[in-house]
Amino acid sequence: MSPVNLQSYLIVGAALFVLGMVGFLTRRNLILMFLSAEMMLQGVALNLVAFSRYHGNLGGQVLTLFIVTVAACEAAIALALILMLYRRRKSLDVSLWQELREPELEPIVDEAPLPPAPLPEPMPHLTVAGPEPMHPAEETSHV
Amino acid sequence: MFDGPRSYLWLIPALPLLGAALTAALGPRWLRGQSHWPCVLGSVAACILSVMTLVAVARGFPSAGTDGIRSYYEWFSAGDVTVGISLRADGLTAVMLVTVTFIGSLIAIYSAGYMRGDPGYPRFFAAVSLFLFSMTGLVLANNFILLYAFWEGVGLCSYLLIGFWFAKPSAAAAARKAFLVTRLGDIGLFLGILTLWLLFGSTATGTSRSLAMDVIFDNVALASTRGTLDHEMLTVACLLLFLGAVGKSAQFPLHVWLPDAMEGPSPVSALIHAATMVTAGVYLVARCTPLFGMAPDAQLVVAVIGGLTALLAALIAVTQTDLKRVLAYSTISQLGYMFLALGSGIEQHRLATLAVTAAIFHLVTHAFFKALLFLGAGSVMHAMGDVIDMRRFGGLRKVLPITHATFLCGAAALAGFPVLFSGFWSKDEILAVTWKAAHESEYATIYFVLLVCALGTAGLTAFYTFRAYFMTFWGEVRIPEEAGHHPHDASPVMGVPLMILAAGAVLVGITLGPTGIFGGFLEQHWMKRQFAARLLPEPGGHHLNWLLMSISGAIALGGIGLAYVLYVKTPALTDNLAKAMSGLYGWSRNKFYLDELFEAIFVRPLEGLARLIRILDQYFVDGLVDLIGQIPSFIGYLVRPFQNGLVQSYALLMALFVGGLLLATMLR
Amino acid sequence: MVFFLDITDASRGAALLTLVRDFWPLWATAALGCAGIYGLLPQARTSKPIWAGFGVAAAILLAGLWFVRQDGVWPEQVLFYAFSFLAVVGGILMLAQSNPVHAALSFALVVLNVCGLFLLLAAPFLMAATLIIYAGAIVVTFLFVIMLAQQAGLASADARSREPFLASLAGFVLLGALWCALDKTYNLTPVLRELDLVASAKSLDEVAKLWSEPAAKPGARTLPALDRLKNALPRELEYDVPELEKAWAKQDLPALTKAAARLRDQAAKLKLGALKPRDRDAPVEAPVTAQNVAGLGRTLFTRYLVPVELAGVLLLVATIGAIAIAGRRGEGLR
Repeated sequence: MSPVNLQSYLIVGAALFVLGMVGFLTRRNLILMFLSAEMMLQGVALNLVAFSRYHGNLGGQVLTLFIVTVAACEAAIALALILMLYRRRKSLDVSLWQELREPELEPIVDEAPLPPAPLPEPMPHLTVAGPEPMHPAEETSHV
Repeated sequence: MFDGPRSYLWLIPALPLLGAALTAALGPRWLRGQSHWPCVLGSVAACILSVMTLVAVARGFPSAGTDGIRSYYEWFSAGDVTVGISLRADGLTAVMLVTVTFIGSLIAIYSAGYMRGDPGYPRFFAAVSLFLFSMTGLVLANNFILLYAFWEGVGLCSYLLIGFWFAKPSAAAAARKAFLVTRLGDIGLFLGILTLWLLFGSTATGTSRSLAMDVIFDNVALASTRGTLDHEMLTVACLLLFLGAVGKSAQFPLHVWLPDAMEGPSPVSALIHAATMVTAGVYLVARCTPLFGMAPDAQLVVAVIGGLTALLAALIAVTQTDLKRVLAYSTISQLGYMFLALGSGIEQHRLATLAVTAAIFHLVTHAFFKALLFLGAGSVMHAMGDVIDMRRFGGLRKVLPITHATFLCGAAALAGFPVLFSGFWSKDEILAVTWKAAHESEYATIYFVLLVCALGTAGLTAFYTFRAYFMTFWGEVRIPEEAGHHPHDASPVMGVPLMILAAGAVLVGITLGPTGIFGGFLEQHWMKRQFAARLLPEPGGHHLNWLLMSISGAIALGGIGLAYVLYVKTPALTDNLAKAMSGLYGWSRNKFYLDELFEAIFVRPLEGLARLIRILDQYFVDGLVDLIGQIPSFIGYLVRPFQNGLVQSYALLMALFVGGLLLATMLR
Repeated sequence: MVFFLDITDASRGAALLTLVRDFWPLWATAALGCAGIYGLLPQARTSKPIWAGFGVAAAILLAGLWFVRQDGVWPEQVLFYAFSFLAVVGGILMLAQSNPVHAALSFALVVLNVCGLFLLLAAPFLMAATLIIYAGAIVVTFLFVIMLAQQAGLASADARSREPFLASLAGFVLLGALWCALDKTYNLTPVLRELDLVASAKSLDEVAKLWSEPAAKPGARTLPALDRLKNALPRELEYDVPELEKAWAKQDLPALTKAAARLRDQAAKLKLGALKPRDRDAPVEAPVTAQNVAGLGRTLFTRYLVPVELAGVLLLVATIGAIAIAGRRGEGLR
């Protein structure tokens, strides 16, 4: 019906936003949670730039620039906080922090054991590097 | 005084009310031992104003063409009924006012001496003042709702005063019993008022309904002349009104509260249960004579109950050992006499006025001598250290001379000692009216039986009155230990009212009765204005019935003599007689087991019902309320697991609801 | 707030069902995609299921087929498809990878492709700025943090997800709702089809059957179908719908078909959502194409001056804040 239009870009933006949201809700590493939030911001930035192109003025792009700025500040503060949290528990797992729950509830711990890690592949046996060792005279055969 | 009672009529109830308010406000902290002043001053002032009203009425107030009604204030109006505070002044009201306020003032003065040192001193006088306000308002009220309001007011004050020493369980129980039993009567009164309002309440304009007495009486008369009067409904209304009177005036079967009410202080018994409150029922029936006069069946019921009560109470009083109980039963008996008189006036033969006159006259004389007797009993109690059982003291005429003399006057008046004492004249008028009814009414036989009962009661009255007198004041001097060593006679504060009342007991009768002043006054200034023409007596007055007077005089003297013989000359005979008639004696002693009967029929089932309802309330209703109270707690229990401390769970909830919000917006 | 309260309103439920029924391709695609993501999320098992990968692939394919149109300028189409495909794939990979380093690198891939899309949208400065700041600074910083904090490489927490099913469900609901909203606004195909049917109707009964709804009565003032039409059309065409209403009220078939045809042609001409380089709206400060940087600079420092200053202050505050928070040694380590 029509070529790549505003709706297409908005659809992609929406997909990115939702992916970021699912990542934020799911991943347990603090860093990855933050990166998922950044992906949400990417989706929003895409929307804004698409609208800027649709309306023909630069308002969307300016807002995107500000979003990038604020994302940078946010990254700085987030890292500082992650640092503090890491110092306490020596881990980047967000599930360790459950102290604000209701007093009667039990803390949620991981129960299902992880599958055993795959054995490291044996290192291939390569020949020793260096000059060729001396062969005994009678063993050499070049026929 | 200035332009007639119109200007000061409202002060008569207002001054005791002011006294009550002042006593209640200032009494406990500032007045304390002097708390009687507002009450005494208020009642004396009201008495003076009442006398002025009486004089004004006697001089012809209200002048022809006007009525003695003054409306002060519109209390409320609902739908098509308007109730205002309107007071009336006519002959009957003036007589009642003077009686109430005069005796009330005397009793207030007496109480200042009797109740001295009691911790509830201010409360007593506040309640007494409130009572005087209610009682004067009751007799002044011109419309039925106002009357009912004051009716309840006197009931309330009676409750407050009977249960004055509320820490005593018997007093509290007696107060409750009085209130509840009179409540039964009040139901009848209210239903009667409603019936009257519905049937006869239309005003002249026909747009609204009134509860004013004059309007209702006029409508009844009008309907009667037109021939459209519904006699059955009128009889029903009159009987309902009489039910109220039965409750308040302690007639059978609602008389059981009055003997128990003797738990209150003696001045209370004198004021409320002898002179004034219990006469409210008599006043009501008298005031409604234009109604009762048109319903002869209702009048028959009134007379029968009155006569029956008189005889019953007299039989019980014969064997009581508590002096105040004897006096209480004699009150019931005398009230029965008044109702007997009221019930004996029948329309066809123009006897209504005579009957009503006799009843009101007996009311006035009874007020004087019964108050006197109760105050005298109070003086005896005061001297004997609150012992009132006659078996424990005796020969007090040497120890308490003033009390003895005044008590003798009262006893003689009550017994109907011929000629000298007022009781004779008033009782005789009642007997005369009953005699006439026995001859000339259509229920002649019933009235004849009632006449015989009345004569028998007269004899019993004389007997038990002087039995009590002789047991108390004659015989050897016996003083119980509670009295201390020197029982003192009444102080002047208590003595002077006794003497004034004794003078009244003697003089009121002979001056007002046979001379026809009383009857003439009432006839002139009340009945001529209120009653339909055919209820008024034939011109020519009535003659004194000498035969009946001599018979009743003889009976009275006989009763006194019998009492003298049994209780002074040969006291041992009484025990033998009691053993000989042990069955009858037991019945009389135990008040014919009426209290026990009521207890079994009414009180026990109601207590069971109350217990059942308490269980229902405690477990079912409270349980339901508690259950509803648990609902927020339960919701919290359901929702609490969401708060698991994990940031991602919170974010998950937010995300889910944002999605839902978006959907909801789109679906709009 | 009030409209939330009639949640039991039957018409609300019927409207939801209508929404799902009308836009079922979108919902199906979203369902497939989110089901696939659920399968791909790191959970405690040896390897990821095959069906999840297929689901995600199918979802992307369908999205490509249904949402982006066929005709148009070919280079733009190809580039758009490529960049958006890689961006979405990068996003999915970021979710699926257990190793945090791999996930961070996938994020860098996403940023790269979004910047490609920026370029397609004629925002070169933003492309460069985003690339430098995100892929250059932020991702690298986080890689450093992961390297220092998790030297083992893979912690047990990384191999698990928190509430995978509910998160996928939330994603599905949100995605479906967003796509439906977008399609309702920018896709006029069903409306055009309906107007076409009305314009070519031979009798009033056909129209009545087309527009028939339980409460409709011929001659009624407002037909629910016409209300729906008015809501579906963009704002500019709203005022032409009353003509349709009048024709229907008068039961005038020629006028009805004429009005419907005119409305259809106007709507077809509308090219909703077309991205025009210029003169689409009110006058702009600067054209959007090659002079993008100059225009951006001029706009920033004239119209948006105060936000720029505030952003500078914000950066300063963030720096000081970060140092203040993280500069403190933990208790016991002083």
